[in-house]
Amino acid sequence: MNASYLPYVLAGVGLTLAVAVGALMLSTLLGIVAAAARLSSHRLPRALATAYATLIRGVPDLVLMLLIFYGGQIAVNAIVQRLGWGGETGSIDIDPFVAGTVTLGFIYGAYFAETFRGAMLAVPVGQSEAALACGMSRVQVLTRIVLPQMVRHALPGFTNNWLVLVKSTALVSVIGLTDLMYRAKQAGAASRAAFFYFVVAAAIYLAITSVSMLALRAIEQRHHRGVRA
Amino acid sequence: MRSASFRFPKPAALLFALGVLCAGPAAARDWSAVRIGVDPTYKPFTFKTPDGQLTGFDVDIARALCVEIKAKCTFVESSWEGIIPGLRANKFDAIISSMSMTAERRKAVDFTDKYYETPTLIITKVGSGIDGSPASLKGKRVGAAKATVQEAYAKGELAKAGATVVSFDSSQQEYLDLKSGRIDAVVVDKFDGKGGFLDTPVGKGFAFVGPELVDERYFGKGAGIAIRKEDTELRDRFNVALKSIRASGTWKKVADQYFDFDIYGK
Repeated sequence: MNASYLPYVLAGVGLTLAVAVGALMLSTLLGIVAAAARLSSHRLPRALATAYATLIRGVPDLVLMLLIFYGGQIAVNAIVQRLGWGGETGSIDIDPFVAGTVTLGFIYGAYFAETFRGAMLAVPVGQSEAALACGMSRVQVLTRIVLPQMVRHALPGFTNNWLVLVKSTALVSVIGLTDLMYRAKQAGAASRAAFFYFVVAAAIYLAITSVSMLALRAIEQRHHRGVRA
Repeated sequence: MRSASFRFPKPAALLFALGVLCAGPAAARDWSAVRIGVDPTYKPFTFKTPDGQLTGFDVDIARALCVEIKAKCTFVESSWEGIIPGLRANKFDAIISSMSMTAERRKAVDFTDKYYETPTLIITKVGSGIDGSPASLKGKRVGAAKATVQEAYAKGELAKAGATVVSFDSSQQEYLDLKSGRIDAVVVDKFDGKGGFLDTPVGKGFAFVGPELVDERYFGKGAGIAIRKEDTELRDRFNVALKSIRASGTWKKVADQYFDFDIYGK
């Protein structure tokens, strides 16, 4: 069994984690904004947030990834060539890492929006009403009162979305980013031991998700302190 | 308190926008730096060494050609399905990754002259009764890799004869399914099949069947370098370089490192 590519495959873990964490940060931010917008009393934010959550969750991740990476690049090329900004290669390259991370963050923002929306609805309305009565602005109500209490309700859904996100980072292999998945595929092709390397990749994803689940469970238990069951 | 408001003159803004959009086309490139798109999952043509370096027949020929055209070449990795879209989206300037020059692909990109040509064959289990003809594959499951000329042939000729075509991400995955019996035959490049399967311990009990498949409608005429249609200058430079490395013996030197038979074809 040819294991000479093992270091090469393992070196992809860093990139996979970087994409996952980057996408997580973007999608958490988008999720909170979209959830708050969805619960807003104004029609426009509500409509936009609903459209975002519905459309993005309705299209396969792979389609969005390809659309943004290739379609987006062609659009950028057209604009750049008209303006003559291209420089040596005639285009401004959309870096695959940025494209992959932003796309994943954008997609999972929609899923987090739904998780956070449910969690926000679980916080008693009286809390926001009392805060408003005390003279806090809407933003202060959100950041000081709703969000801290929402965390406890959001954690199970958050954990779930994170696990799915980590595994979805494998999608960036189709835009040529040498993450864990693409490296496993290359190693399999070069060493003729494809099965071995796919098992290694699966084991690594399992390790990442297991550690995540343990950590998030510890956080969940901390947030349940002092709460009557 | 009255705030003074500055009103940007609307007509001026419009003219400025129009002027910017009407700027002329980008200057023609001098091709001193060329980006080459590859999918390093095709041993021994394009693959990676254990320390992550690109290597293989395609890669070495590309390097030799770059020396000839006096360009600094960098390699850009792409998945196979995305490699032509990547070329058209200007992610790289040429594809040197064992791409067969088919009529279908010529609709999207231009090709240089061929730099090698290998036939396609069908592999099946010895004694399965399949002789490689479309009729013998009726009702059988045939594997082929996505977006390849072998898949085009399978869908065009074998599916018509009653075979079920199963598409895979790579030839390596096809061999795994063939071995496990999930499919009955695969359509692959002769040298990928030989080096990647039949000559390995996993390939015992399997063999090539039928004649070498060279139908130009599906397989084109060998593998060439794909270039965007508007980059005629780059294509001509590569063609000149190709002729010169064939004549000088550099091509043969590279080929001899990987193959002990001729892969240029007729």
